[in-house]
Amino acid sequence: MVKKIFAYSYIYLILLLMYVPILVLIAFSFTNSTYIGEWNGFSFQLYINLFQDKEILIALGNTLIIAFISSLVSTLIGTLGAIGAYYSKKRTRTLIENINQIPVVNSEIVIALSLTVMFVFLGNFIFKENIFSFWTLLIGHVVLSVPFVYLNVKPKLTQMDPSLYEAALDLGCAPSQALRKILIPQITPGIVSGFLISITLSLDDFIVTAFTRGPGLLSGEGNIETLSTLIQAKIKKGPIPVNMRPLTTIIFLVVLVAAILVTVVKNQSKKKVKVRKGRAA
Amino acid sequence: MKLRFQRKELCIPYFVFLILFVIIPIFLIIYYAFTDTNGNFTFDALVNFFSSTNKLNVLLVSLLFGLVNTILCLVIGYPIAYLLSNKKYNSNYIIVMLFVMPMWINFVLRTGATRDVLSWIGISGGEHPYITTMIGMVYNYLPFVILPLYSTMLKLDKSQIEAAIDLGCNRVQVFTKSIFPQSIPGVISAAMMVFMPTMSSYVIPDVLAEGKIVLFGNSIYLSYSNYQWGDGSFMALIMLFIVVICMLATRNFGDKDEGKASTW
Amino acid sequence: MEDKNYIIDLKNVSKIFDGVTVVDNFNLYVKKGEFITFLGPSGCGKSTTLRMIAGFEFPSKGEILLKGKDITNAPPNKRPINMVFQRYALFPHLDVYDNIAFGLRLKKIPIELLDEEGKPVLKVNKEKVKQLKADIRHTKWNKALTQEEKETKINELNSKLEEVLANPEPAYKYRKLSNQEIDKKVARALKIVDLEALEDRDISTLSGGQQQRVAIARAIVNEPEILLLDEPLGALDLKMRKDMQLELKEMHEKLGITFIYVTHDQEEALTMSDTIVVMKDGVIQQIGTPKSIYDEPKNAFVADFIGESNIFNATMIDKLKVRFLNTNFDCLDDYPINEKVDVVVRPEDVIITEPNKGQLNGIIQNRIFKGVNYEYTIIINKNELMIKDTHEYALNKEVGLIIDKDAIHIMKKDFVTNIYTDAYISKNNKVMIDESPFECDLTQLLAGSSIDEDGYLVSKDKKKKYDLADADVVAEIDINDVEIVDDINADEVEAVGEIVDLVYKGDHYQLIVRTDSEEDFVCVTPYTYNLNDKVGIKVNKDKIRLRLKKDINEYEA
Repeated sequence: MVKKIFAYSYIYLILLLMYVPILVLIAFSFTNSTYIGEWNGFSFQLYINLFQDKEILIALGNTLIIAFISSLVSTLIGTLGAIGAYYSKKRTRTLIENINQIPVVNSEIVIALSLTVMFVFLGNFIFKENIFSFWTLLIGHVVLSVPFVYLNVKPKLTQMDPSLYEAALDLGCAPSQALRKILIPQITPGIVSGFLISITLSLDDFIVTAFTRGPGLLSGEGNIETLSTLIQAKIKKGPIPVNMRPLTTIIFLVVLVAAILVTVVKNQSKKKVKVRKGRAA
Repeated sequence: MKLRFQRKELCIPYFVFLILFVIIPIFLIIYYAFTDTNGNFTFDALVNFFSSTNKLNVLLVSLLFGLVNTILCLVIGYPIAYLLSNKKYNSNYIIVMLFVMPMWINFVLRTGATRDVLSWIGISGGEHPYITTMIGMVYNYLPFVILPLYSTMLKLDKSQIEAAIDLGCNRVQVFTKSIFPQSIPGVISAAMMVFMPTMSSYVIPDVLAEGKIVLFGNSIYLSYSNYQWGDGSFMALIMLFIVVICMLATRNFGDKDEGKASTW
Repeated sequence: MEDKNYIIDLKNVSKIFDGVTVVDNFNLYVKKGEFITFLGPSGCGKSTTLRMIAGFEFPSKGEILLKGKDITNAPPNKRPINMVFQRYALFPHLDVYDNIAFGLRLKKIPIELLDEEGKPVLKVNKEKVKQLKADIRHTKWNKALTQEEKETKINELNSKLEEVLANPEPAYKYRKLSNQEIDKKVARALKIVDLEALEDRDISTLSGGQQQRVAIARAIVNEPEILLLDEPLGALDLKMRKDMQLELKEMHEKLGITFIYVTHDQEEALTMSDTIVVMKDGVIQQIGTPKSIYDEPKNAFVADFIGESNIFNATMIDKLKVRFLNTNFDCLDDYPINEKVDVVVRPEDVIITEPNKGQLNGIIQNRIFKGVNYEYTIIINKNELMIKDTHEYALNKEVGLIIDKDAIHIMKKDFVTNIYTDAYISKNNKVMIDESPFECDLTQLLAGSSIDEDGYLVSKDKKKKYDLADADVVAEIDINDVEIVDDINADEVEAVGEIVDLVYKGDHYQLIVRTDSEEDFVCVTPYTYNLNDKVGIKVNKDKIRLRLKKDINEYEA
């Protein structure tokens, strides 16, 4: 019993410490004050301000657009890559897997710098103009996340009974049909988790964005500003901008809902509740 | 023959992508690390690096930070992962989720919040840069340690633990002789997830130490902002070198891509 | 023209994977409605043959005809053949109904195109043109054919192509099956496999036996010409397997389609098949009805693999007289006098009688009750003989034994010498068989020669020296000269391998030891080993016979 109490208090203490900064930020989003620690009575003023703060809204929009597009691209080529590699000769597969491992273990700043060096090189010697733009940023984010799509899809392929594909051919599918009707549904869980990881990596990224971005998207003529770069620029000069506090609350709520969903899905998949679908008589 | 041909072609776009944006950039880094602005071969960057006590200092401090942070995270995270792997404390995954959740909130924002809260309670980065940076590091990397450890612990061979008890091990011996040796792959991959990113981190020291601590990441960032491609590339090369050494040193322990991929 | 009675016809089919011949010159025709079984140990090429019929693998050589039509290179989705897979390969994301309906939903039914007057519209058959063009392409790239073979085949295909182009055929348009039609067919298939109530169930909720039935229903619902079954009962427990055997047999009779069944279980094969094809190492050993294969096995392998049997080394001593177990027996098989042969005696064919009242006496060493009968091990001198008998006899008792002439089946001896054609001489004058060095006597290559201290072979008159390092040789070792050593680390061991095959021959085993690099050593031993045992091999240096591939003068130093 004592052991249990001790264990629980340790877990919750660490959890509490981990959440303190965020919770403090959330708490102070309900008062109109300049500094953390300064409480000027309960108010929703910051929330109203947030929705008029164009700078933050633009950064938020950029962040979401980039996360969505880069994850889509990563999921597409990563999934196809995993399928292709799975059916390739062992040597090809090992080669792809080894290259795939490079961005996984490499530090973000090296990835960012190496891409930047290449974009500068291309800009100087091939295109003869500055090529930093939304596209370079997109490539940066895809490099960051695509290996994880591969790593999530691959185990689903190896777990799959290889004769499923053959069974589909045997029953009259052309190879492309077998891929669509049988293979893809089998690896969907891996594709989904690959996509979700891509989203989180992209949303969270600062270094690669700071290195590879150029003008474009909602930022128009200026360098693309994402939440990460915006916050970084602001907190270099002072405390977290007041309008970020209500945004923290919103992000926290979204994350909370997502976490609850994930937990529910995880617990559900253990129970396997089957929902019948209708069928033509 | 014909059947396989079509399916394996699907990896061509991915392969081309990897070559263009992973392999070629690394070769360009090597190229820039050993050429001057006119494209002539030179060891300038290498000489610059090893003759500058400043930069060697950065390397040393980065290694130290990486090491200390790895140890701290493991010391704090190991018991948590062990407890969480026990169904008694974590029957429905909720607590694990609670440890994962902060990773989904913007990292720069969390770092900023840490700084603001620390300075609110009187620990400002300007006065105690080492303390604030260390707190920020542990705070950020703790989940990355708990997850791989947790997934390794879930796979612990329970019958081996029972066998150890059966053979007369006491609690401490059960841990040292059965549980810990079994969890070593998890410890290794957790350490890999913390050590290198800490060394090369940019945002945490930049924000929390108010520029008073320069790690490898900051150093590379600085060269980049000053357009010193040669120096930046050379430092990136050193970082790559350290990565390769760590990989080679730990590759016998398996579980290598478990960590990051098991975030979900 | 090919005989249309044969539903499928395999002609000289070979399959080579990375230089290893998995199926070797396979010839077989199957009559419509037959239940045919490919039987053999794992790795004998039976599954590969099945997969070639299904279209998952393409033959390296030879052709496959379906009702006289060449389907050698047709993809699996273009063959009216369906397969029941080893682990069922049911689609886990679909329920029972959708699994079974899967093939039907893809099916396209041809409708003849008619013009306004009701006459069929004639068009060039594009499918055939496409297929023939693909065949021509395949032939061009087929490495197994010589240039000449290619040209004749391409010419033949080209003339077929012209014929097709010149003769327009009635054209068709295609429609899919309606939901009602699919429903009806699925219901019928479910009824055949006795699963009517389960159509809405998820695959993961079904038992192994039920999954098996769904897999069968999914295949037969497409009304294939041939149903292929790849060890379909392997994952079921014994009782379930017996039930399914009978059901499959019944289903075969009811449906009237050809079944091609693959198994390594001889009992399964004997129970169900009309015809059994026994295979080993990619080669057909025997084709026949279950009875003929059991009663008249062609060689020791078949005899040992099908049913339980006593196999002895024997010698023909006179016309229709054979000697084994130190006793002379009359027999029905005619072999040349003095020929060494193998003899098979089935355990149930030996009659136990009073001592000295039979042809020979033995002592009962062991008795196991097997329900219907007793299984006895009888010792006759040093030989063991297994007998099945319904009567109970006391242990350690002497009994007389009668073996009738129709109980004795004589087979040609299959193997006496190991021959290695890829051997060569190493720098230190050992013969390298499969990269393992064996001590050998090089002087046998040249009469009267000797080896000098530098390792050269010196001729009798001491005038000529030969450097035999790296010389290619053919090495021969009699199976009796290969010795087996238990301790694979012992000094005298010259090669190490795993026992991949063993046949008991009364007083000794004949076994095959396969090294890591796939070289086989056939040997005999009186001791008991198990399959997959690791053993060492040694050969007395005088017992290796060598023959140079080139003339010895090429190696003159």
